[in-house]
Amino acid sequence: MTIKRIKVGAGSCGIAAGASELLTFFQQEISDIPIVEVGCIGHCYAEPIVEIETDNGSLFYENVKPHKDYLDRILSLRDEGQLVIRPQRSDREMVKILSIAGRIEMNSINEYIANGGYEGLKKALKMKPSEVIEEVIISGLRGRGGGGFMTGTKWRFLSDKNSSEKVLICNADEGDPGAFMDRSLMESVPHQILEGMLIGAYATGATKLFIYCRAEYPLAIKNLKRAMEQIFELNLHNLNGRTVEIRLKEGAGAFVCGEETAMIHSLEGKRGTPRFRPPYPTDSGFQGLPTVINNVETFGNISLILREGGAEFAKVGTEGSKGTKLFALAGDVKYPGLAEVPMGVTLADIVYEVGGAEPGTVKAVQIGGPSGGCIPAEKFDAIVDYDSLKSLGAIMGSGGLIVIGNNRCMVETSRYFLEFTTRESCGKCTFCRIGTKRMLERLEKITGGEGTEADIDFLSDIGNKIVKGSLCGLGQTAPNPVLASLRYFRNEFEAHTNERQCPALQCNKLTDVIINEELCIECGLCVKTCPVNAISEDYIVNNSVCTRCNSCIEVCPKKAISRTKRGSGHYAVKEN
Amino acid sequence: MSITLYIDNKKITAENGDTILQAAQRNGIEIPTLCYSSLTTKNTSCFVCVVKDTKTGRFIPSCSMEVSDGMTLESDSPDVRDMRKTALELILSEHTGDCEAPCTIACPAHANVEEYVRAGKNGNHLEGLKIIKERIPLPMSIGRVCPRFCEKECRRNTVDGEPVAINDFKRLAADLYYDSYMEDCKALNGKKVAIVGSGPAGLSAAYFLRREGIASDLYDKMPEPGGMLRYGIPEYRLPKDILNKEIDHFKKMGSITFIQNTSIGKDVQIEDLKKKYDAVIITVGSWKSSEARIEGEELATGGIQFLENIALNGWTGDNPGRTIVIGGGNTAMDCLRTSIRLGSPEVTCFYRRTEAEMPAEKIEIHEAKEEGVRFEFLVAPVKLRRENGKLILTSQRMTLGEPDASGRRRPVPVPDSDFDTEADTVIAAIGQKTDAPLGISTNKWGDVDVQPSSCLMADGIYAAGDCVSGPATVVEAVAAARRAALSVIAQFQGTTYGEPYILNVTRGQWQSLKPDQLVYLKAPVERTRVPMRFIDIEERTTTFKEISYTFTEEEIATEGERCLECSCTAKSDCSLKKHSESYCAKPDAITGEKPEAAYDRRHPDIILDRGKCIKCGICVKVCKEVVNAGILGFKSRGFSTHIDTAFSSGLPVDLCRNCKKCIEECPVGALDLRIKN
Repeated sequence: MTIKRIKVGAGSCGIAAGASELLTFFQQEISDIPIVEVGCIGHCYAEPIVEIETDNGSLFYENVKPHKDYLDRILSLRDEGQLVIRPQRSDREMVKILSIAGRIEMNSINEYIANGGYEGLKKALKMKPSEVIEEVIISGLRGRGGGGFMTGTKWRFLSDKNSSEKVLICNADEGDPGAFMDRSLMESVPHQILEGMLIGAYATGATKLFIYCRAEYPLAIKNLKRAMEQIFELNLHNLNGRTVEIRLKEGAGAFVCGEETAMIHSLEGKRGTPRFRPPYPTDSGFQGLPTVINNVETFGNISLILREGGAEFAKVGTEGSKGTKLFALAGDVKYPGLAEVPMGVTLADIVYEVGGAEPGTVKAVQIGGPSGGCIPAEKFDAIVDYDSLKSLGAIMGSGGLIVIGNNRCMVETSRYFLEFTTRESCGKCTFCRIGTKRMLERLEKITGGEGTEADIDFLSDIGNKIVKGSLCGLGQTAPNPVLASLRYFRNEFEAHTNERQCPALQCNKLTDVIINEELCIECGLCVKTCPVNAISEDYIVNNSVCTRCNSCIEVCPKKAISRTKRGSGHYAVKEN
Repeated sequence: MSITLYIDNKKITAENGDTILQAAQRNGIEIPTLCYSSLTTKNTSCFVCVVKDTKTGRFIPSCSMEVSDGMTLESDSPDVRDMRKTALELILSEHTGDCEAPCTIACPAHANVEEYVRAGKNGNHLEGLKIIKERIPLPMSIGRVCPRFCEKECRRNTVDGEPVAINDFKRLAADLYYDSYMEDCKALNGKKVAIVGSGPAGLSAAYFLRREGIASDLYDKMPEPGGMLRYGIPEYRLPKDILNKEIDHFKKMGSITFIQNTSIGKDVQIEDLKKKYDAVIITVGSWKSSEARIEGEELATGGIQFLENIALNGWTGDNPGRTIVIGGGNTAMDCLRTSIRLGSPEVTCFYRRTEAEMPAEKIEIHEAKEEGVRFEFLVAPVKLRRENGKLILTSQRMTLGEPDASGRRRPVPVPDSDFDTEADTVIAAIGQKTDAPLGISTNKWGDVDVQPSSCLMADGIYAAGDCVSGPATVVEAVAAARRAALSVIAQFQGTTYGEPYILNVTRGQWQSLKPDQLVYLKAPVERTRVPMRFIDIEERTTTFKEISYTFTEEEIATEGERCLECSCTAKSDCSLKKHSESYCAKPDAITGEKPEAAYDRRHPDIILDRGKCIKCGICVKVCKEVVNAGILGFKSRGFSTHIDTAFSSGLPVDLCRNCKKCIEECPVGALDLRIKN
C-alpha cells in the first residue's frame, strides 16, 4: 500500500485535543506526503484523529501525539493505535449528512465538488422552483433546529410571497450547552450548508441570504467565509441568471438570538429580543421582508434530498420524522462525539450501542439541552422522533444529548440547565426574567440543603406558568429540565428537602468526605493535595473545613477516599 | 370589516386589526396591563394582560394579539386571574421602593403623614388640617397626646438620630384653623346611631358617621363628654379648654347629640337602644383599675380613679403628701406628675423591672424625672398596711430572669429582700380593665369581642376603642372607631365592610437601611430637630398649665425641611399598585433577590429609579419612537436587565429635552420628576 495523503482532524474538537501541534510536527517531519486539514468525523473522543489515505482505502489512528513513535507507527500502517470501530461506532448509526464530513479537506471546494458536491444545486436549477419545494415536501424533512416544522411548507410560504426581495437565514447560533452538531458541519463541510441555502434561495425566490453564526465559533466562521469567497469566484450564487446576496453575521453571544424574531432584530442591528408572533417572519421578517429561517443541519440535508430525491430520503425514518438526525452525544458515555442515526432508533441504541455506556450505570439522558428534559433509563426503549420525545416531556431540540450517570444528582443537573436559561433570558417577559430567577433560587436552596416541600411545589407551579406565560421558545421551554426531573425524579428532590440528603452524593452541602482506613496506605498524597488542610496527619478528613473540592478523591491511588452522606463524616469537635 | 368574538361569553364586535386589548377596552371589559402604551409599538413584556383562548387553552398577551372572527376568550376565569396575579407577584418580588412613607404606614389611623407635613412645611396649614381630618377627627388632642407611632418609623432617624417632629404639624394646623375649617358632610339620610361613650372612639365614630349623613346620639355616664381625654389625661398635657373647643366642633357639625350623666344598663338599656336606633356602637373604654393583688390593696387608690377624681375637681386637689405610684405605664406617669403638681414633697415610682422595660413613653419618663419624680426599679409591692395614720408599703427587690411571652425579661424576686417604705398616698397604676355595661358580654380578659375587620359584636351592635383592645392610645381608638363607623355605613347600604387591600411595597425599617439608601429625591438638609419649647420648670411643677408650646409657623416650616419624602412619586397613579390591589397580589408572596436599588439623580429634574422599574420597555420606545431622541435603552440580560443610558452616564441634559413623555407613560414611579407637590 502506498500512502497518498495524511489527513489530520482539525476541527475544533481536534484542535482542542492537540491537532495544531500535531500538524506542525507532521509538517516538520514529513516532506513527501501531502498533509491536509480535515474536519470532524464525529468520533470526538478519539481526537486527534489522523486518517492515512492509501491507494487501498484509509486507516484511522486515534489519540495521535506529536511524537516520533506515533509517526513511525502511522507511516508503517501498523495496527496499534488504530481507531477500531469505524466509520461507525455501531450498526445503529447511519452516516448520510456526515458522509464526507471530516473526510475532505475543509477549505477545498474542488474536493467537495469531487465528492458530489453542488450536484444537488445543479439538479435543482434544472427544475422549476416549485418542483424543488415539492421534492423537499416529499422528503418529509422537518426543521432540525428543534421546532420540527416542515421545511418544504415553510419554503412554500416564502415562495408564495409576492415581494421583490425575500430573505433566507441560516440559523447557526447553536447555543445549547453540550450541542455541537452545527459547528461540526460548518467547520467540516461548509459548502454542504451553502449548497442547501442556494437551493433554498432558488426554490423560494429569496434574494438575501444570511448566515447568523455565533461568534464563539471562529473556525466555522473562517471556513464559511472561505467557502463564500469560493462560491463568488465560481459565480455559484448566480441562480439561473439571478444573483443572490450572501452575508455572514456574527452573533454577539446571546443565546436568545437563536430564536427567529430575536435573530432578525439582531441582524437589523437592534437588541436581540424576541417579539410577539404573528406577524410571522414569512409575512414580515428582516426589515419587514418575507423571511424564512432554517437551521444549519436542515440546510445540510437539502443537498442530499436534491441529489437522491425526496422519496429516497423519506425511506429512512419513521412515519412523522424522516431522514437521519445528528446528536451531540456527551456526558457519561465512553464514546462522546457526533452521532448520526436514522430517525426511529431507540434511546438505548444511542446511549448503549453508540455511546458505549454500560447498562445500569446510567439513570437518564437530558435531551434537547436547556429547553428539553430528562428521560429516565426505564424509558430508553422510546424511539427517537419528534413526537415520541415530546410525549415523554423532552424534545428533540437541536440534538444535544447528555447522558447522566448514576453518580449525578438530578436536582443539580436541572439547576445547571436552569442557571443557563436564567442567565440567557433576554429579560423581556415577566415570567421568564423573574420566574426563572425565582426557580433558580429555590433550586439553590434545595441543593444547599435548605429546601422544603413548599419549594418543590413552587417549582412546579411557577414552572408551568413560565411555560404558559412567555413569549418565545426560550421562556416557554426554560422550566422543562426542572419539570421533567420533577416528573421522573421527584424522589431525589424530596430526599434533599425531607431527609437533607443528596442520593447521588453530588450536592456539596449534603455530603461529607471520608477516608477508608482499610484501603488507605498512608501515602500522604491527599494531605499534600488538600488546598484547605482539611486532612490530618492521621488521615482523617475534617468535614467542617473540607470544601468538597474532590482533589483528594482524584489524587488517591487506592480509591480510599469517597463522598458519603452528610453527617456520617468526621467533624472537628467544637471548642468550648 | 367588523369581527365578532367572545370574551367571557360576552359577544363583542371589533374592527379588523384591533388587538384583543383594544377590542375589550372599547367594549367595557377591563383587562389589566402594564406594558401597553397607545403611543408606541407593542412591548409584550409584562404578561399581566393575558387572556385564555378557550379553544386551544393557550394564554395570549391581549395587548399584542389581533382579534379574529369567532375567537372565544376568557378574561375573568380563575386560571386567567391566577396567571395575572402571579405575573404581578413576580414583578412585585423584584420591585424595590416605598409606595407609602413609613410614617403613614405606622400611623394606626393611616393619616397621610407625608402630605400634611409637606403642607405644613409650605405654610398651607388649612390644607394640612384637611388632610389630617380625613383620618383624625381629634387633631387638637392627638396633636398633644399622641405617642407618635409615625416618628418611631421616620427614616430621618437614620440621618441624624431624630425623627421629624410630625405630631407638632397636627397641633399647629389644628390650633390655627380648627374653628374656621368645617368639613363637607353629606345631607342627613334619616339613619341614626346610638353611641355609648363619648371618648375618642365615640367621638370619632360620630364624626365619620356624620360625614356620611348619619346622625348620632352619644350616651355618656360622666357629666361632660370626652371620656379619657377629659378624665384620664391630665390638664397639663391636654388642657380642657382645648378639649372643649375640639368637642364644640362636633356640635357644630350638627346632629351629633351628647347625652351626659346616663349609664347604660342603669339609666338606659342596650335593648332599648337597639330598638330605637338603626345601629349601636359601644365605645365605653377601660375605666376600671386592675387589682394589684396584694394584701391591703384597698388602702391604695386606683390610678385611673385618682386622675378621675382630680379631673372632676377641675384639676385641683389636696396635697397627697409623700406618694408612691406602683406601675410603669403612661397612667403611672400621669399619676406621678399630677401628684407633683398637687404639692407632694416626695413622689416615687415603684416598678418591678428596669427603665428599659417600662411601657411608658420615653418622653413621659424623661419629663417626670425633670419634674422631680424618683424612680425605684426592680421593686415589687408585697403588702400594704396602715400604721399610725401612715401607709407602710412592704416591697421586695427583683432581678430579671428569662424573657417571658412578651419578650421582656421576667422579674424574679430576690429572696429575703423585703423592705418597708412609708407614704401618705399609694396609687396602684398597674393597668386598666374594661368596665362593660350591663348587657354587653366580655371575653376572658374582660374586653368586648368583635370581628376585627368590621368591629361587629352582635347583630346591629358594634364596638371599638379601649373596651375592645384593652387600654391603648387615642389614635388607635380613632382608627378602630372609623372601622366601626364604616361597617355601620356598609350595613345601611346592605353590604359588609372589609378593610380594602392597600398594596405597600417597602424598603424596610430605617434601622436596616444605610444613610445613603435613604437619599431619594434630594439630599437631606442638615438640620437638627426643632426642639419643643416648654414652660418654666417651676410653673410645670406647681401648676396644671400646659407644659409645652405649639410650634410656630416658622418652626414648622423649618422642621418640614427635614422630611425625606419617602413615599413613591407615583403612588397616586401607579398601575402596578392599582392592578396588584385589584388582584390581591402581595409583595412578599414570592421572595428572592431584588436588584440593587440604584436610583439615578444626576438629571436636575428627573429621577430614574432602577429598583422600581418593571422593564416594560415603554420609556425606551417613547423616547425613540415618539420623541425621536433614543436616549434610553435596555442593558444586560436575564434578571440583571435594566434601563440605562449610553455609557451609563445618566440622562444627558443636552439631549434630554425634558419633554417628560417617558415620565407620563411610565406605569410605575421608575421615571419621575424629582419634586412632589
